[in-house]
Amino acid sequence: MSDDPKLTAQRRDSLGSSVSRRMRKAGQIPGSIYGHKQEAISFAVSADDLNPIIASGHKVVDFEIDGSVDKALIQDVQWNTFSTYVQHVDLLRVDANERVSTSVEIVVRGISPGVLAGGILEQIHHELPIECPVIRLPEQIVIRVTDLKMGGAIHVSDIPLPTDCTTTLPPEEVVVHVVEPRKAPEPDENEIASSAEPEVVGAKEEDSEE
Amino acid sequence: MALMPKRVKHRKSQRGRIKGNATRGNTLAFGDWGLQSLEPGTITGKTIEACRIAAMQYIRGEGKLYIRVFPHKPVTARPLETRMGKGKGEPDRWVAVVKPGTVLFEIAGASHDAARDCFARVAHKLPMKVRLLQRTHGTH
Repeated sequence: MSDDPKLTAQRRDSLGSSVSRRMRKAGQIPGSIYGHKQEAISFAVSADDLNPIIASGHKVVDFEIDGSVDKALIQDVQWNTFSTYVQHVDLLRVDANERVSTSVEIVVRGISPGVLAGGILEQIHHELPIECPVIRLPEQIVIRVTDLKMGGAIHVSDIPLPTDCTTTLPPEEVVVHVVEPRKAPEPDENEIASSAEPEVVGAKEEDSEE
Repeated sequence: MALMPKRVKHRKSQRGRIKGNATRGNTLAFGDWGLQSLEPGTITGKTIEACRIAAMQYIRGEGKLYIRVFPHKPVTARPLETRMGKGKGEPDRWVAVVKPGTVLFEIAGASHDAARDCFARVAHKLPMKVRLLQRTHGTH
């Protein structure tokens, strides 16, 4: 039995923005599933079923439609402007041992000694693009910063990835670092005087032509 | 000093209308906390600078502030006590055009209480309703 959550959907034949809007009002979320060179299917799924799965960080679901169950990767989730509800979901058909490319959330845990010394913990990347088999896809990647001192950094190469997982980011890329707080530079008097009005592109050429 | 572009293609621009919600720049990109606009409007360079100063005085050394808007648009004004006509006024200030949903500021490396209090000070200076955004699991 798979650990992946089950998502049951109904096939939908009526497409378009107005139908989708009415569907969302009725508590359904429109979506589509594609991949494996099979036909793309438009479906509707209950918001009460889908939202907990998205909130839990699961990327792979057991997708049931018309009585058949497929493994599917949550490929894309569209939110409304204020990120209050899901507008549409894209699923990709996958096999259990197939390698997929997706992004996994990076979660920073612990209190860094550098922060206690007055530094600022800056997280450069909040998601890590990874490529791995579907069955090994992690929900999140946890980075512990309990040993991170002032000026120290955790690079992509320092992140422990599950077996068979690779990332497309270069290994020397900084993910999290602790930096000293910087003071804002004082504005230069000459700069203030010279920048009362911005330079107009092509203004001199026009004057010379005249 | 107030923000403004270094180089522009035209000194003056037409007023325009702010229609619809933000479809870009409406999610957290850098920090863990953000201030999101709930109404359309414009923010002047002076206001952005005032917000920056208010925020920096509060989070001093505790977090990093990101400003996500820039005043690209010139607004012209007529001199006081002048008659109508004689052409368009001269550039008076620079404003950032803000649609509902635009993330205006972000803070990284600060606690929830610090970010909330800091953005409350910033919100007092802004000409529109805003809300606090938090980077959470399962959203974007």
